Amino acid sequence: MGGSNKPELIKDGKRLDGRSPDQLRPIKIEVGVIKNAVGSAYIEWGNNKIIAGVYGPKEALPKHIQDPEKAIIKCRYSMAPFSSLEEHGRTGPNRRSTEISKVTKEVFENVVQLEKFPGAEIDLYIEVLQGDGGTRAAGITAAAVALAASGIPMTDMPYSVSAGKVGDAVILDLNKIEDNFSDADMPVAISPRTGEMLLLQMDGNLTKQEINTAMQMILKSGAEISRIQKEALKSQYEKILEKYNK
Amino acid sequence: MQKIVVPGEKLSDAQIRIENTISDSKGTFSCIMGSYDDEKKVLVPLEGLWNPKRDDQVVGVVEEDKGNMYIINLNAPYKGLMLSKFLEFELKAGDIITAIVKELEKGGTVMLLRPRVLEGGKIISVKPSKIPRIIGKGNTMIKQITDGTGSSITIGLNGVIWLNGGNVDLATSAILKVEEEAHTSGLTERIRDMLTEKVL
Repeated sequence: MGGSNKPELIKDGKRLDGRSPDQLRPIKIEVGVIKNAVGSAYIEWGNNKIIAGVYGPKEALPKHIQDPEKAIIKCRYSMAPFSSLEEHGRTGPNRRSTEISKVTKEVFENVVQLEKFPGAEIDLYIEVLQGDGGTRAAGITAAAVALAASGIPMTDMPYSVSAGKVGDAVILDLNKIEDNFSDADMPVAISPRTGEMLLLQMDGNLTKQEINTAMQMILKSGAEISRIQKEALKSQYEKILEKYNK
Repeated sequence: MQKIVVPGEKLSDAQIRIENTISDSKGTFSCIMGSYDDEKKVLVPLEGLWNPKRDDQVVGVVEEDKGNMYIINLNAPYKGLMLSKFLEFELKAGDIITAIVKELEKGGTVMLLRPRVLEGGKIISVKPSKIPRIIGKGNTMIKQITDGTGSSITIGLNGVIWLNGGNVDLATSAILKVEEEAHTSGLTERIRDMLTEKVL
């Protein structure tokens, strides 16, 4: 948090990349990029490039991890060795990727109807090809689309986005530089149908007032993220529908 | 009017009981990606895996002969198992067979019954969620394809289809077209046009 030679992150109400404080980076989602997977999605969120793949439900192995009443989710978040310039993007299982795998797993345990597949496991792989801040949020957003595309029943399609603080200003969707020099960073995952919060982490300090502002920004931008998720899923089918409905 | 819905999307303000939905005080919401008909109140899944049930017909390939049983590859998360003591003939690895599901066992295996060896021909795999459309209401679609091409076709509910004889290439492309456009209306007519044009 912070640094000795901290760059000026906000100038005249504009951020380094020209965004306003409550503006998202451009998001693009593509469905069905991995043919072998049951469901897959590729997301480009600003400079983040992430692939998510879903396998299963299949028999959970080793046997002692099976739950006779519901399925279990195995999640693996990892960054490719070439994904980032700094140590942050180190590949392989490490403290950071283990943590993100755990919180991602817990997000989806709340929305996937696990009781329909007793004794099974659902594998969720999130691979960061290029990281530019907010990869866990982008990864959850992509994984939600991959799960929906796989046909595994889930009660809702969650989205995730982060908010933070730079100086006195609360900003939405931090990129790498903002993340490194920000005073606070708060990734949040929301279930849009019920408005439930599925993930809440925070680095740094925010006052109660600032958290309220950040949450309002997140909920407002969430409508946009949800729309992009739904469009990505529907486009492949609606293209064919339109062709014949004319 | 049909519309494509995704998980979490509202289907109705009222609480109605449909498979693969969840309802609460706010209304009924979809749990899967599917195509929803507002008038008939039917939600047809567009994606999804095969869910083995008793008496399902499947098509598979014999993967291994274990002496007292055969292991059948069903192109699904489940493995097929057949005990050789119930068989009057022997199978060998590589045989294409069709069989009936006896029961789903623990540990992701499916017990199979009454196998029949399919000689020659080829197999293709499609999304298991599209199989009902390929068969059609009252077998209309598949009957149309077999009549139009002269092929004999065996459909496994696990998403594997065996074709033999006649114009196999035309039958294959017709089946793949049905798979791709399963959610559109007027598909039966388009397939009929496709079959007659290619035959002539």
